[in-house]
Amino acid sequence: MQHASSSGAGQLRLALFAGLAELAGTRSLEIPWAGGSVGDLRQAIAHARPAVAGLLERSAVAIGGRYADDDVPVQAGADVAILPPVSGG
Amino acid sequence: MDERMQQTHRGERDQVRPAADGALVRRPIDPQRLVAAVASPEAGANVLFVGTARGFTNGVETTGLEYEAHDSMATEALERLCTTAVERFSLLACAVEHRLGRIAIGEAAVAIATSAAHRRAAFEAAEWLMERIKREVPIWKCEEWADGRRAWVHAEPAAARSGDAGHERGDGPVDAGRRRSRGRGRRR
Repeated sequence: MQHASSSGAGQLRLALFAGLAELAGTRSLEIPWAGGSVGDLRQAIAHARPAVAGLLERSAVAIGGRYADDDVPVQAGADVAILPPVSGG
Repeated sequence: MDERMQQTHRGERDQVRPAADGALVRRPIDPQRLVAAVASPEAGANVLFVGTARGFTNGVETTGLEYEAHDSMATEALERLCTTAVERFSLLACAVEHRLGRIAIGEAAVAIATSAAHRRAAFEAAEWLMERIKREVPIWKCEEWADGRRAWVHAEPAAARSGDAGHERGDGPVDAGRRRSRGRGRRR
């Protein structure tokens, strides 16, 4: 899945929130991305930041402000947010 | 947004009075302003709910809370919930504000104002809105305790939903969990 050096490979900048940002040590995580699904992206994030793996399992992924299931493709350069379980109110 | 504009241009009232308005704010919430915003001569009931930062949970002292949000998604979700509440409960108007940033114990974290011809709809809509806000709007709370520790609250998926509108753990992002589980099978 890691084809970062192949042609067309891009970067993906992920917005992280709350406890997820704290575990990752950043609110904006950049990872190499050669394309794949939201499910693939989850694996890539867990690989890049093992500390977030547990909470990531329980988090939702949004692309361009819309929730995306694991089979949705993610383009390099997409606006991706990782949203841990919410606790507003 | 359109509703706000329509209300503004209608000019029947002396102030902007959106029928359904949800917003994130980074300043103290003024509950009375929200009630005024939903007031209507057709109303027989205005309900105001104010969720405040509780100082003790299960005997543990909380010294403050901090909230953050995915701003655009949370704002959109709050607006959509308000619009849905107006339709679902036949409200005359509805206004919600959720505060972000650090808040002190006793301060309002969220406020909901509804107006309806009769009280039942106004009460039920406020309760429904609060439940939905806690379950699905991308807002997060960090609890700060008296011993200096702090932690973001992310409910376990198996945790039971609570009817309490306060700040206990145990409410989950039900919709996010459901969404997540659909595509999960082949990877686990």
